[in-house]
Amino acid sequence: MIRRVWRTIIGFLRSPGLATWLLAIVGTWSALATIVPQGAATDPVVAAWASTHPLVESVVSVVGLHQAFTSLVFTVCALGLALSTALCAWQRTRVALGKARTLRQAAVADERALSEGHHLEIPCDPALSGPEVLSVASATLERLGIRTKRRGDLLASVSSSWSVWGSPVFHWALLVLIVALFAGNLMRSEGLMGVAVGQTRPDAAASYGVFHVGPLHDWVGVHRSIRVDALDPAYVTDGIDRGPTPTVTVLDGSGNVIKTQLVYPNMTLKTGSLTIYPATFGLSAALTLVSASGAESGQAFQLVDFSDKTSDGTIPVVPLSVRDKSGNVLLEIDVSVPLDRTAGGFAERMPTNPAARVLVISPDGTTALDSILSPGEGVALPSGDTLRLDEVGYYARLQVVDDWSIPLLYVGLIVAMVGLTMAVVTRQQIVLAGVVEGPEGVKLAMTVRLWRNASSSRSEIESELTRALGGVQEGSTT
Amino acid sequence: MTIEIVLMWVALTFYTAATALYTFGVIFVRDKMTRWALWASAAGLAFQVTSLGMRWARIGHGPYLGFYEVANALVLCVVVFFVIVAWRNPRLSAAGIAVLPVAVVLLGGAMLSSKAEVEVTAKLASYWLLIHVTFANLAFGAFAVSFGCAIAYVIRQRSKSGKWAKRLSKLPAQEVLENQTVRFVLVGFLFWAIMIATGAIWANEAWGSYWSWDPIETWSLIVWIIYAVYLHLRFTMRWHGERLAWYAIIAMPMALFALIGIPLAFNTPHAGIGGFGKDL
Repeated sequence: MIRRVWRTIIGFLRSPGLATWLLAIVGTWSALATIVPQGAATDPVVAAWASTHPLVESVVSVVGLHQAFTSLVFTVCALGLALSTALCAWQRTRVALGKARTLRQAAVADERALSEGHHLEIPCDPALSGPEVLSVASATLERLGIRTKRRGDLLASVSSSWSVWGSPVFHWALLVLIVALFAGNLMRSEGLMGVAVGQTRPDAAASYGVFHVGPLHDWVGVHRSIRVDALDPAYVTDGIDRGPTPTVTVLDGSGNVIKTQLVYPNMTLKTGSLTIYPATFGLSAALTLVSASGAESGQAFQLVDFSDKTSDGTIPVVPLSVRDKSGNVLLEIDVSVPLDRTAGGFAERMPTNPAARVLVISPDGTTALDSILSPGEGVALPSGDTLRLDEVGYYARLQVVDDWSIPLLYVGLIVAMVGLTMAVVTRQQIVLAGVVEGPEGVKLAMTVRLWRNASSSRSEIESELTRALGGVQEGSTT
Repeated sequence: MTIEIVLMWVALTFYTAATALYTFGVIFVRDKMTRWALWASAAGLAFQVTSLGMRWARIGHGPYLGFYEVANALVLCVVVFFVIVAWRNPRLSAAGIAVLPVAVVLLGGAMLSSKAEVEVTAKLASYWLLIHVTFANLAFGAFAVSFGCAIAYVIRQRSKSGKWAKRLSKLPAQEVLENQTVRFVLVGFLFWAIMIATGAIWANEAWGSYWSWDPIETWSLIVWIIYAVYLHLRFTMRWHGERLAWYAIIAMPMALFALIGIPLAFNTPHAGIGGFGKDL
């Protein structure tokens, strides 16, 4: 009973109908996803669409079409497709094994084997001798795109036994790709990390701004840091402006350099599972807090982005704050870098005279200080400490991806393409022909198996040979 | 530049003439006209290749940036595939009734669009772009020929008797037309898969992400799925005949929509093959 139910389930999962329906559902779902805006319900675009399409939205939000490719519907269909692909690959492997065995047997088949079992018998003109029949048959088959070789008294066109492996290889590779994509997304981390020139940041969650991490990502095993050594805001090579180009260094846990290079589009830094790509750039102000006793608290980098909505053209990425020992905010410090003005607004590059504007805001929201500092200058804070501007430089916002599955995906893609090419290009066929003599005269006995990519059909072969050999067609024996 | 444009207009004229000749040749059962049509297609191809070659030499990159170049490259692949097929099997040249109009409409659209050069930006400066776009063009060429063969199949199938039966008797047998349709779908399916794979690799190099469900990526996957369903229907569910032919006929415009329609319809950072002039 259990075995019968199991077989029914397996039979259903590997049925071509299910695979076809799942493909159709995934395709339709994906098409719908391109019509409906994608994102969380709080996303302004999604919210605007929802308010203008209230009726459709009630269905769309229930089925999860706004986050179509992480929705339950899509995940279930993708898993079903993966299962169906696995069973299909298994079945194709078994079929390929059988075909390969048949091809190997056909490759060494002799006249006796042919006379004992064949598919077609084509009557021949009695005036033709055995060798003449084979010669005419060979020429006719060649005209139909089937090149034969003489093997003793046989004509043979037998594909190599490896020709049958294209489709199984392709389906197994597809399965590897689906699994690698799924597992990779569970273990992947991807985020934007702002690093000032000269700064080194550990590759840890706290170093990222925008950040997506899979539930199985292992931070414990990550012992590395990322440093930006330099940034050219308009790097040109081979006559092409590569845009803001940082020189990035990856260091191991002991501070040893793992890799260092210029990073720009189509020149990402790759080391192990790590990929670093330059997302954008901005300016940074290196600041030091000096206590009343003269002790320095260490250098901090205030990263600022270009902005045409502020009075000086930049805005701090995350404002600095001074806290007491309990963690209460004593002061909020907004640091920006006034840009050079142009006719249309601001010049988004290092200003001619680099400086930092320091705005200190008390917890009650009042401005306690508004001062512009040049490098080397300091300003006394209401807390009694002094804030010193060390220098103004660039910062690079790097897109850092940690995903071990990418090389596996590449290998999977290559194997899938090789398998698909084999399935599309290679012929899978057995054509054996030999002369048999009986009381009804000379006949051409043929074994014809045209599995894939054949240049002709069995009926065309039969009719063309019948015409060429001048006999009267009697029909096939099978 | 003027000579390039003139040569392209000449190519378009030849393709239009070939379309007319194929139509008249099949309707009035004139073999000579279909032979001329093939020569006209080949002549158009020669002019188009010359024009594109001159543009390539002048601007320093192949035809893959901007609508004019993208549409041109698609037409080139469609006509190259078709001429090779028709040359090898003259009876299949009647499929030109369906294939050549695709070339004429696309090239006509290209001629009416801006012919300005699109600058090679940092994100476009990759040999993956060349591979990616080449396979997109090859895939579309194969799908267009499968579309032509499928239309020829339907016409042949629906004209078994009556006055059209004699007129269309020179078309290849349905079995041959169906086989050719399937073979070109297979070839197109392979090339489309390579296009997606190389696109993903290139996206990872240029954008730092191999797949972002961008509308163009999504539609390229949808088209691949559409043809995967076709192949499943043909090889595992044993579909054949007119309904399979209709499937191939409906599928090809989807591929065209993915290549041309989506970049025009959606404002996407990945603006598709050639970017259509948008900043990538």
